[in-house]
Amino acid sequence: MKTETKILGAILVLTAVILFGGIFFLSKFSANSSSVEEKIVQIDYSKGQKIGSDSAKVKLVEFSDFQCPACAQAEPFVKQLKSVYPDQVQLIYRHFPLPQHPFGKQAANWAEAAGAQGKFWEMHSKLFETQAEWSNLPDNEVDEFFLGLVKQLELDENKIKQDVEGNTFKSRIDDDVAEGQRLGVDSTPTFYINGRKVILQTFNDLNTVVAEELKK
Amino acid sequence: MISFNLSNRLIFIFSLIGLGVASFLFYEYSLSGPIFCPTGAGCDIVRASAYTKILGISIPLLGMAYYLTMAVLSVVHSHQLPHKLVRKLQTISASAAVGFGMYLTYLEAYVIEAYCFWCVLSFIISVAILITLVLSRDKRKDENRD
Repeated sequence: MKTETKILGAILVLTAVILFGGIFFLSKFSANSSSVEEKIVQIDYSKGQKIGSDSAKVKLVEFSDFQCPACAQAEPFVKQLKSVYPDQVQLIYRHFPLPQHPFGKQAANWAEAAGAQGKFWEMHSKLFETQAEWSNLPDNEVDEFFLGLVKQLELDENKIKQDVEGNTFKSRIDDDVAEGQRLGVDSTPTFYINGRKVILQTFNDLNTVVAEELKK
Repeated sequence: MISFNLSNRLIFIFSLIGLGVASFLFYEYSLSGPIFCPTGAGCDIVRASAYTKILGISIPLLGMAYYLTMAVLSVVHSHQLPHKLVRKLQTISASAAVGFGMYLTYLEAYVIEAYCFWCVLSFIISVAILITLVLSRDKRKDENRD
């Protein structure tokens, strides 16, 4: 066998071992590394959009951004929690539109305006489901797109337009952002379970984290 | 035009880089958190799309298989240069990879409307491999003519 063949073969084997070993190790490590921080922070539970009873044993607060792809990915797992633990878990949605997402705040406004007519969670689901469709629209077409979603939900269009144009919910959204900043939220989605920050490796772990909290 | 020796080494290096990129993507696709993406949120958007698998197989895994095959073929090829069957296998694989990469890039541009930096990088590497192969092939033809 030629020297070059031996050298290339050795490099290839070494690279493959490092890469595949690394993936295996990291996957194993990640699968077990979702955790909840020890420190309990004070969160104002009177704020935010809620689903579930105020007396629920577990309060799960999510700081989220409608234009964030990772938040859209988390959505089915959050939805699953709603159906698995309707009485034991209260989900609280707090807005945290990131500056790099130009329509994040706008979407939050539309969701709040839908919430004023009792359909925040329906609008929330629609916004995440259609995120890929509206995220890259030109600035002047986004409101039209959101209006289309409002029509699907059979809401009072004029009232919603008024609320959105009048920035009626600006202070509510700003309060959420301010609280997130005070807590040190720097990415979305960020979850807090009974006041403790959840460090997730996969959104699937949300279920485990909630189940463990319910056992306490 | 480049010599077979040099082209084989280049293909080997490109394949290892491609293997690294595809492995990184494969790892990131197995997680749900945000992907490290130098060009913004494009990687997350692409991962969230319906085009991350083909026939149930993860596309980064296909990429890993392709680059590993190309690297193995380079090692085999280094033993006997130029080897007709190995050249044929390399050319067929590289052409298929570039064709598939073009299809994926089309999906990113016109269907998903977002670019994943790592996917584009992988496509560029596959194009570089094919160009290297074509250039070395030309050289062989020239040598035969002489």
